[in-house]
Amino acid sequence: MKRPRRLAAPCLRSGALGVAGLLGLLSALAAPPARAEPYLAVQQGYKCSSCHVNPTGGGLRNDFGIIFATNLMPARTVSGSNSLWTGRLGEFLRIGGDLRTSWSRSTVPHSAAQQKFALDQLRVYAEVAVIPDRLGLYADELVAPNSPQNMEAYLRYTSASQGWYIKAGKFYLPFGWRLQDQTAFVREVTGISMTTPDNGVELGYERDAWSAQIDLTNGAANAQSGHGHQLTAQAVYAQPRWRLGAAGSLTQSDAGNRRVIGTFVGLRTGPIAWLGEADLVSDAGFPGGTRQLLSGLAEMDWNFARGQNFKLTAEYFDPDRTVAADQQTRWSAVYELTPLPFVQLRAGFRRYRGIPQNDLQNRQLAFLELHGYF
Amino acid sequence: MARVYSPLVAAAAAARSACAALLAAGCAGSGIGLDANGRPLASGGVGNGPLTAEFNSIQDHVFTPICSVCHAGGGAPQGLRLDATNSYALLFGVPSTEVPSIERVRPGDPDHSYLIQKLEGHAAVGAQMPLGAPPLSVDTIAAIRLWIADGAQRPMVAAASASTAMRLVAVVPQSGERLPAAPPQIAVTFSADIDSTRIEAGLVQLERVIGSGGTDGVVVQRTALAQPAGNPRTLLLTPAAGLPGGHYRVVVRSGPGTAITDIGGHALEETGRTPDGDLLITSFEIGAQP
Repeated sequence: MKRPRRLAAPCLRSGALGVAGLLGLLSALAAPPARAEPYLAVQQGYKCSSCHVNPTGGGLRNDFGIIFATNLMPARTVSGSNSLWTGRLGEFLRIGGDLRTSWSRSTVPHSAAQQKFALDQLRVYAEVAVIPDRLGLYADELVAPNSPQNMEAYLRYTSASQGWYIKAGKFYLPFGWRLQDQTAFVREVTGISMTTPDNGVELGYERDAWSAQIDLTNGAANAQSGHGHQLTAQAVYAQPRWRLGAAGSLTQSDAGNRRVIGTFVGLRTGPIAWLGEADLVSDAGFPGGTRQLLSGLAEMDWNFARGQNFKLTAEYFDPDRTVAADQQTRWSAVYELTPLPFVQLRAGFRRYRGIPQNDLQNRQLAFLELHGYF
Repeated sequence: MARVYSPLVAAAAAARSACAALLAAGCAGSGIGLDANGRPLASGGVGNGPLTAEFNSIQDHVFTPICSVCHAGGGAPQGLRLDATNSYALLFGVPSTEVPSIERVRPGDPDHSYLIQKLEGHAAVGAQMPLGAPPLSVDTIAAIRLWIADGAQRPMVAAASASTAMRLVAVVPQSGERLPAAPPQIAVTFSADIDSTRIEAGLVQLERVIGSGGTDGVVVQRTALAQPAGNPRTLLLTPAAGLPGGHYRVVVRSGPGTAITDIGGHALEETGRTPDGDLLITSFEIGAQP
């Protein structure tokens, strides 16, 4: 049986930068470079832990992630790229960050259009490798806008074989595709996204093609009551050209128990990466009894030229499966240009469609975004 | 190679199926028979008219259609449920979880109400609400500010205002009906969605009436009280055991803290009371005519 590619350990030592760079270049020869987020992993056949310190993806990039961002993501590299930012401040400390600033224009029927420039976020990440490759202290701080807010802070212990890890503290829960767009229906409906970190413990498994986690946390709905808990589990089987994942979550809450199950799939066909996800929610916390909600996402990412990607997304949301004619859809088209290392420009258009008597469900959004990362 | 190819084909088929299903179901709902919040028209949903600086109006125009898209159910962020049943209790004078020193709604003080800070985008923590949607208009936020400045009152709705009180729509068995055998269930349907947070064991009772029907002449029957899935306007009372022949009645117990209301807080319109003061829902006979 052909073994899946194992492209990088979660943390590479600084001395291995050259090896990682070579791996990256080999990857570039094997497939066109991708540009961003989960489809990047699908297009390259990577696991999340290949480029990120966090095994479940997002946040601080590791050595390989930085090399990828420097040499393979941009349309043009810069001379002397070997002396660019590496994220390492000494042997034990690594930092990184993301800045997103945008202009957007929202159009809602029967209302005046709104447009604005906004600093969407400035985040700073840091990890202290207390015991390199074994014990790390990680933090994700939302520095702006407004006052600083801690989004993640946890201690992670990894087994000697690098196969198992346990982390405790505050972190994002693993569920489905960790999309950049936190307002995607699948992220809003499941309630699990990078806007809703939770406190608890996570046990993870990372070996060969498998990535799996099980989490015991407070639950977002229990922030005030002090009662209840949330149990979340996810397993992903990743092959170079495809991957399949399943996730489930059970929240026990005073408001009413909530069960979420989901499945997600990724597939690479030439320069195009396909992502799909479907989630079903059963929530007893609604007035009048249990309500079932259904959401789905299908995404196509076409890496048509080096440093350029075209993303087309179709989404579906049924807010109550017992009520007919209340479904909502959302279609998005986004162009992403990465002209230089650590800089990305995004231009997009989203069209929401829902019941005609609700103006907000029929809005449109156009946006331009500048994304700087390191 | 075959072992790799088979799951690859399976994954491709799954992806194609997901896409096909998504596209097939990809049309938005027509909204026929629904109010502006996507709820069935008869379920007591959104009110009509322009937004005013009153709680019910803000609920109908802001909290329900915009906020409760995320802030509802067992996964509501920060535990803040902004559906019509829960929003007031979780806003009025309640410390925010993100900045506990600031109340979500501080009566009389909109500037120091976390709700306003989040809507205007200058809260100490987190993003402007509603997340992923255009900010509320200046006029809308002004109405919410005015409601808070005026004390953040929630209009109390009395049963006496018959135009807004919740009514009995149907009861099975009907009042005065004679049944040849014990019914498996008793169904009571109201004119609006019931506030399920007020439903507790013993609130609605099935009583067997002995003699004149006074307090001493009543035997409370063991029953299970439930709402059928997908029908928030109906209560089902299921006897725990077979009922012997006789005269029965269904009552809503009266007393401090006991009430049955709809999700807008409207009390049940009175149709009669028992000698011991409980609200009478229905009375019926089981067994042949004596």
